[in-house]
Amino acid sequence: MVELLIKLKFALDRHTPSGTRWLTLALVVGGAALTWYLALNAASDAVRSSLLTLLFTLWAGVWMFAPTLTNGAGVLRPQYFTLLPLDRNRVGVGLLATMFVGVGPVMTLVAMGALVWHSWSADPATLFLGLLGTLALVVFIVSLSRLVFRALGAAMRTRVGMEIASLQWGLIVAGLFFGWVAIQPAIAATDELAARGVEGTAASVLAVLPTSWPVLAVDAAAAGSWGAAFGWLGAFVLLTVVTVVITGRLLAPSVAVRGMRQRSRPWGSRVLEHRGSWLPDTPLGAVIGKELRSWWRDPWRGFELRSALWAGLFVGVLGLISYLPQIAPFAGVIALLIMGMGASNMYGHDGTALWMTVLGQGEDTVRADVRGRQVAVAVLLVPASALLSTVMVFATGEFWAVPYVVAALIAFAGVSNGLSVLLSVVAVAPGTDPHKRVDANDTGDHSFQSWVSLVAIPLLSSPTLLTAAVTMTAGASWVTVPVALLNGGLVAWLLGSLTIRHLERRLPEVFARIRYGGEVAVRSAPAPEGTMLERIERGTLERERESASHE
Amino acid sequence: MTTSHGPALELDALTKTFNENRAADGVSLTVPRGAMLGLVGPNGAGKTTSLSMAVGLLRPDSGTARVLGVDVWTDPVRAKRHLGVLPDGLSLPERLTAGELLDYWGRLRGLERDLTRTRAEELLRVLELDRAERDGVLVAEYSTGMRKKIGLATALLHAPEVLVLDEPYEAVDPVSARVLTAILRRFTDGGGTVIISSHVMALVEQLTDRVAIIAQGRVLADGTLEQVRGADSTLEDTFVRLVGAREIGEGDLAWLSS
Repeated sequence: MVELLIKLKFALDRHTPSGTRWLTLALVVGGAALTWYLALNAASDAVRSSLLTLLFTLWAGVWMFAPTLTNGAGVLRPQYFTLLPLDRNRVGVGLLATMFVGVGPVMTLVAMGALVWHSWSADPATLFLGLLGTLALVVFIVSLSRLVFRALGAAMRTRVGMEIASLQWGLIVAGLFFGWVAIQPAIAATDELAARGVEGTAASVLAVLPTSWPVLAVDAAAAGSWGAAFGWLGAFVLLTVVTVVITGRLLAPSVAVRGMRQRSRPWGSRVLEHRGSWLPDTPLGAVIGKELRSWWRDPWRGFELRSALWAGLFVGVLGLISYLPQIAPFAGVIALLIMGMGASNMYGHDGTALWMTVLGQGEDTVRADVRGRQVAVAVLLVPASALLSTVMVFATGEFWAVPYVVAALIAFAGVSNGLSVLLSVVAVAPGTDPHKRVDANDTGDHSFQSWVSLVAIPLLSSPTLLTAAVTMTAGASWVTVPVALLNGGLVAWLLGSLTIRHLERRLPEVFARIRYGGEVAVRSAPAPEGTMLERIERGTLERERESASHE
Repeated sequence: MTTSHGPALELDALTKTFNENRAADGVSLTVPRGAMLGLVGPNGAGKTTSLSMAVGLLRPDSGTARVLGVDVWTDPVRAKRHLGVLPDGLSLPERLTAGELLDYWGRLRGLERDLTRTRAEELLRVLELDRAERDGVLVAEYSTGMRKKIGLATALLHAPEVLVLDEPYEAVDPVSARVLTAILRRFTDGGGTVIISSHVMALVEQLTDRVAIIAQGRVLADGTLEQVRGADSTLEDTFVRLVGAREIGEGDLAWLSS
């Protein structure tokens, strides 16, 4: 069965154009080369050991995040096999086995092979530990990647599951942010990294992570502590087995009811019974109401919103309890930025439900649709992030930060709000249609939007950031706030207006892109000499066409 | 300008090519006011593509469509005001209840709040979705048949003059199908025009007064039921004659009976 599944996987891959495959290939080959470069150039065994713990953690981190952030439509989906008369758990294990086939796992094996080199140069007698550790690392990392992916998908079936997944995801994002803050100085100086390795808090944190255990096993054996060596490797092998078993179970085709079941009447749903409404009786009111309800109730959207808020909170808490209390007041700002990226595929979230906007088109409905979405995101996010930052300011007593926090909240709220609605239209990434969604990344691949946001948000907020930099030295920090107000307000309004103008011209084309995919939409793509937005739309369309699956 | 006479819906040489495959090849069709037209054709014939271009969902490569004389592609806002559409297989705002969905749709369409509420309550009751609404069931949890019904409610809410329904009877139970037929008859009796697409010949024969047969993106026959049927005894015979019959050979799939 495994052989058949692998053949099926290759068949699906063959029908997937090669756009992002080259990017993935470049990433894994580059990653493996970097791993070996550092392993070969490390100044001593101890330095190499610390470097390997860092590198293996990075590999595991990328494996955990990548499938969730990108669109793995070409991957075999367990639900394809629901109706076959096969043992569900065997199918699950078979599907897991297919994950070990491909360039990614092979290059990961090459990279993990640096442990073999480490054991050889530390003490040739530890070579078998290095070999075993390498194999276990590949199995662990690849299984963990699937485990995270499927667990997120499974969590979407219940409200509690979604809330817990958001909390965990927020914790992971905050952990990575802090981890990055800790190791960033080390990475910035790669030359020194080879000479000195990872030191200080980062080194002790890395040492505890499971991906470091095989390295610690080799180190212990080389130092003569064979008991400790077998202890570390034994623990890691046990953890790997547990991960494989759980992942196999999670990959088994599920026959549970799709989607989130409501136990009670959803909040705010008695629209036909109640006479009054707090929303205006206009298309704008209609869109705000629909959007607020969707953000609140849709597990996929709720996950974006809640995990952003949790990530902000955890960054604050980690700042509070660690050596970086000055970061804590910016917890709300971080939540805003993460959510800005999470909201940058709103039309992709809606899927083909956009037909209602196309067919209900009236004099002012497109404007209402864009502005309504902007208002809803702001209503959901601004009070929560402001509250988060306020609490953190009082908890840390870092009152100096208040003007900068207020300015950053205002500027980023406006900029990310405008940018997300613009990207939602010109770079819409249709995923699986809403009524068929199962997996965590079924809402479409919005990694492109996230990368653009990372560059564009600081760029569009530069008036505020420059003012903050200047006033910090001049001691007039509150001047930043009115600048931020103007900056944020103007960008939100301007990008919203651009989106409206673009959508008014190309509403059926945006729908066609969602409904029929890139191949069909590219035929009606705007001319290369069109407006800037049309050129962006064309560019993203061509990119999507290259990477889209024919599923 | 909306004309007070002339056809309700005109498809004028609509053409669309998908991935080198011509899904609609100069589709022209005229539907008089007050008519109930059945659009029939085999799978992949171009029914949904033609209807999508006719209502403004899919821009044609060439050709156009007019609703009550208003061009769908040059004056979409006015044309869409007259149209009620039930698309096939598309999503809805899935996390709303039926009541919320109709409230949203009414406001977007610019209807008065009280009017929306009265009509929505009546539609949900007639289409037997009132219980699901009382229980606060979200559209995401609806069965396929229920999705058709709430889709139909959105098509009817603003009392359009022309209804375009893609496979309205698919997955609908026989009792609800009778209700649907009664609604459509009442609609045409009041002067409205209905276009439905379907695979089921008997249904089209029983329900509609006009038929168009479409295959490989072309209209093969169009007219009243009698005109299209001609000397054939049933519409299915006409359909098979025009589209071409495919019989399974004597030895094909013999293993099924072993």
